[in-house]
Amino acid sequence: MDRSDLYIIVAGCGRLGARLASELSRTGSSVVVIDRDPSRFAALTAEFSGFHLTGDAIEQEVLRSAKIEQADCFLATTNQDNINLMLAQVAKVIYGVPLVMARIYDPLRSPVYERLGIDTISPTELSAQEFLRMITARAGLEPASALRNGR
Amino acid sequence: MRAILAGEGKTLYYLARQFTAKGHHITIVDRHPDECEALARRLEKSVVVLGNGSDPAVLEDAGARQADVLVALTPEDQDNLIACQVARQMFGVPRVLALVNDPDNEEIFKRLGVTEAFSATRIIATLLEEQAALEEVINLLPMAEGRIQVAEVVIGEKAPARDKTLQELDLPADTLVAGIIRAGDVHIPRGNSRLYLGDKVILIGRPASFGEALRAVAGEEA
Amino acid sequence: MATQKPRILIADDEKNIRFTMTHALERSGYEIAAAVNGEDALKQLEAAEFDLLLLDLRMPGMDGMEVLREAAERYPGTRVVIVTAHGTVENAVEAVKLGAADFIQKPFSPTEIRDLVAQILDRGHIRTEEAHDYATHLALAKRSINQRRLAAATAYVKQAIAADPGRPEAFNLLGVLQEIEGDRHGALKNYRIALDLNPSYEPARRNLSRSGEPPIPGTLSLG
Repeated sequence: MDRSDLYIIVAGCGRLGARLASELSRTGSSVVVIDRDPSRFAALTAEFSGFHLTGDAIEQEVLRSAKIEQADCFLATTNQDNINLMLAQVAKVIYGVPLVMARIYDPLRSPVYERLGIDTISPTELSAQEFLRMITARAGLEPASALRNGR
Repeated sequence: MRAILAGEGKTLYYLARQFTAKGHHITIVDRHPDECEALARRLEKSVVVLGNGSDPAVLEDAGARQADVLVALTPEDQDNLIACQVARQMFGVPRVLALVNDPDNEEIFKRLGVTEAFSATRIIATLLEEQAALEEVINLLPMAEGRIQVAEVVIGEKAPARDKTLQELDLPADTLVAGIIRAGDVHIPRGNSRLYLGDKVILIGRPASFGEALRAVAGEEA
Repeated sequence: MATQKPRILIADDEKNIRFTMTHALERSGYEIAAAVNGEDALKQLEAAEFDLLLLDLRMPGMDGMEVLREAAERYPGTRVVIVTAHGTVENAVEAVKLGAADFIQKPFSPTEIRDLVAQILDRGHIRTEEAHDYATHLALAKRSINQRRLAAATAYVKQAIAADPGRPEAFNLLGVLQEIEGDRHGALKNYRIALDLNPSYEPARRNLSRSGEPPIPGTLSLG
């Protein structure tokens, strides 16, 4: 199976979910987006060519109608950490989806879930790393205080 | 026993009251400030912690490291699951129990490491079905951890089994008439034994088909 | 003729779905055309010969069922696969009666649609009249269950029961379907019906004893 032929489920069509779904769809994957609020699907771009499913992904019935047992990849991107963590585990442990990732605002619990083979991505953690990287990259500059005092 | 109850609403208060009365050490975790205040006032012996039970910092404050059991009772299944998992995996709480709001999740919770998951929907449905049982049923006795039920059923005037032989009864495959009590004597039945008005029948079977068996013997509701 | 690429017509009013299906099927070497509604589909069927029509049931204007009726009558050489939203079993039953070859429920993976199309084109041209017998419906139902296409499976099972209500296999399968959908009570009832029809029918007996209370984990017996 080549990369553009994946079957991917995205739970939660907020800004992150919509962005991921649109991008994955554009590069040729077959994507199903689930959200309980159908007005959220408007956030998908014109290039999105997948399916959308209205329903609460936390309900087994909804996951089954998304044919989760066939999915190659499951992305939990709702705006609630606990929903994402539960969905990710259900996808991984109950339905055996090979690649499962979840967005987690609070990175404190990530280690618990990484042991289960669930990759968590924390926006706070990512921004912090980026800030630190930029600060380190410019560490060659003299501190502002030195400049000011030298005047 | 040291127990943490994470949840909200009145159940929390009554549970805590009952357990502290028995001498257990109860800590309550509730995310509503007003409820916490009221609980702290009414339950002098309990510790009340404001916060979400799935937050590791909150659980730590609630003494999760020393707790013997955590019960998660919020109306959100995802919060109950994560609270149990965090308690068990980050703080080593040996027993974690969760309320399951969507009965579909009962099995899933167990597979994801929750010691015991109970669904109010399923408990009530079971109670209702058992209630549908009939005045003629004298005793209903679950045995072998509920996997087998035993009942004593009186053959009433309108009972479908009245004047029929056991062979003629439409009993489900996994139920059995184990005895007939007639005029004080116990008879061990055979296929051609006939049931008469006033007989007491000892019925044994699996719970799944027990309701059907009861209906076959005693009829629809009395 | 045999060397020609199979020709497939996709009739769906949603651009997304047309795109997804085209994308998935193109690489299998089929020749794909698309129609944006029912009228358009019939126009294209008239203009050229197609081996397969993938037909959305819900379209504005002329609906899928009407297109199916016309297509089955006027272009019997074209097999029709119905594309439905989830959970529309009644429609599925109706469509089988009208001669649809199979179903696929949205959403579906690229693999799923490719496998289904390949199977149907392989299956050759079973005429609809021949397909209306018990054994064929039963076989189609089992295959659909194995592919987890439950609405389609239910439709086939019901057709099988209609074709011969006196045999246990179809009732056993109906029970299996209900068990998968979580209706254990209905499932037990149908396993018992199957056993009543033939007390020595082993798959129903196995299902019945496995699905007691509490259910014992085990495999569903499709028979």
